Amino acid sequence: MSRLDWLVLGGALLFVVLWGLYKGRGATSGDGYIGGGRDHRWWLIGLSIIATQTSAITFLSTPGQAYVDGMRFVQFYLGLPLAAVVLSITALPLYHRLKVSTAYEILEARFDLKTRLLAATLFLIQRSLAVGITIFAPALVLSVLLGWSLHANILLVGTLVMIYTVTGGTKAVAWAHSSQMLIIACGMLLAGVMTAHRLPPHVSLADALHVAGGLGRLNVIDTHFDPGNRYNLWSGLIGGFFLMLSYFGTDQSQVQRYLAGSSLTQSRLGLLLNGMIKVPMQFLILLLGALVFVFYQFHTPPLFFNPGPVKQVMAGPDAAAFRTLEAKFAQARAGQRQRAESYVSARHSGDAAATAAAKQQLLQSHMESEAIRREGVALIEKANPGTNPSDTNYIFLAYVLSSLPVGLVGLVIAAVFSGSMSSMSGEISALGATTVVDLWRRLIGGSQGTREVWVGRIATFAWGCFAMAFAEYAARLGSLIEAVNILGSLFYGTILGIFITAFYVKRVRGGAAFYAALIAEVGVIACFRFTSISFLWYNVIGCVAVVGLAWCFSKFMPAVLDTVSPG
Amino acid sequence: MPVTEPVPPLLGSWKRIYAVVLGELALCILLFRLFSWVFS
Repeated sequence: MSRLDWLVLGGALLFVVLWGLYKGRGATSGDGYIGGGRDHRWWLIGLSIIATQTSAITFLSTPGQAYVDGMRFVQFYLGLPLAAVVLSITALPLYHRLKVSTAYEILEARFDLKTRLLAATLFLIQRSLAVGITIFAPALVLSVLLGWSLHANILLVGTLVMIYTVTGGTKAVAWAHSSQMLIIACGMLLAGVMTAHRLPPHVSLADALHVAGGLGRLNVIDTHFDPGNRYNLWSGLIGGFFLMLSYFGTDQSQVQRYLAGSSLTQSRLGLLLNGMIKVPMQFLILLLGALVFVFYQFHTPPLFFNPGPVKQVMAGPDAAAFRTLEAKFAQARAGQRQRAESYVSARHSGDAAATAAAKQQLLQSHMESEAIRREGVALIEKANPGTNPSDTNYIFLAYVLSSLPVGLVGLVIAAVFSGSMSSMSGEISALGATTVVDLWRRLIGGSQGTREVWVGRIATFAWGCFAMAFAEYAARLGSLIEAVNILGSLFYGTILGIFITAFYVKRVRGGAAFYAALIAEVGVIACFRFTSISFLWYNVIGCVAVVGLAWCFSKFMPAVLDTVSPG
Repeated sequence: MPVTEPVPPLLGSWKRIYAVVLGELALCILLFRLFSWVFS
């Protein structure tokens, strides 16, 4: 990185921290610290919701996803606007009417204390482990590609986030989110414009899109219903709807963002703004990845974008074989470049038959070079047993570092840091809020004055330290990342089930919901332990089990559960 | 307890705002499909 890049990166991070500190000053009560003073406008809420869910690794891996697999990943988000509308109609009026500070408070009003504590505890376990990964994963990518210390990276992000989050609470987080979204938007927009500009002069944007489309990278919508295919229109609309309902309706890291609204109207508009922006935003980020893919049709990419595992191969007995593959790959890509040029020329000539033939030749050439790449990946897998042989997360940043101009590199890295900081701040702020409101205030009976602000700061600081410590731990145990993802799915379905029961199954009382949740959780853990069901299905199993069991309990044994549950 | 629906500052009713959000989703799906088709 050049001096200008460092200047841009340092300036952007300093701006975020100072802006958060400045706008978040003056919290004198627990409600001011945790609820952000409940004076946020809809646009601030919307930006804060988007920033919380935009982690750096999503931001790094999404263009890589388009490069490797095409743009069909956008379908994952199609359920979001539906969920935003449903939550605006059902959950938000309830949250506002009861003036809750956390999502779990509502469960005590609807059921009983133990159901509230169960949901809050499940959230604390799941989210506290996930937040460590939120800062670990991008720190790993930056450390590999830039040679920075992983530990220093984790410490830097964690410390910067804690400076404004611990000091200013929800308000500081929301205002810092607005500045982070500005940096992310500028970084991605300029990277997109520059990528289009760096294509060969005779290749127009339409040519580039035809090349990407011809090689299967613009497969945005797939209407074919296939339960085994993770990304199609139906899995996005139906599966995505349930996932987003759970995330935006029951996860305190999101609920806290819109509960800070000055009114129900502002909260609703903020959530709906997110519903309108997210799908086009993901489309544009994926399109950037598709353009990077086209860029590499006219420039030779590395055989594998993650240099870490490649070094392992080069240090082992397969080094010579890997070098041979690299040479073959470079040769194949040179041929592919010629085919891409021929395809563009054929398009310009207007000859439909020649264009179709050139497109077919380009596709053939692409398949040949991909076959060589797969051979290389097999060698990498052999030299790094037990590791994930995917370089998806490294593609975009490797491209930025090698191909974008000075200054813009610093801005894009600032955007990566912003993504990491925005999700971490939203998450530790929510963990602190749940600890204070659902545990400290409810069980110990603390006051809502200045003392609660300090308890909130201590709790947020403690969760921030835990996140950094867990990120360090994850650095030593790489395979733990997948375990944490599975852990999230072990709890998410149960939490969603409790909330759906609370909102939509009127006859169910506290005891029935609590015991249904416990049994469902045991069932989900049993599925994990004794079956080969994919972990994404645990969300559905847990949710359906809670709702079904709670309904059965309240229907067939209400007296028993009422006695057991004084609630 | 019945909830008094506040009038939104835009478009005059929440139903219209929800229709805009869902309409945008439908439009996105349609445009994405068209985009896939044109450049495939």
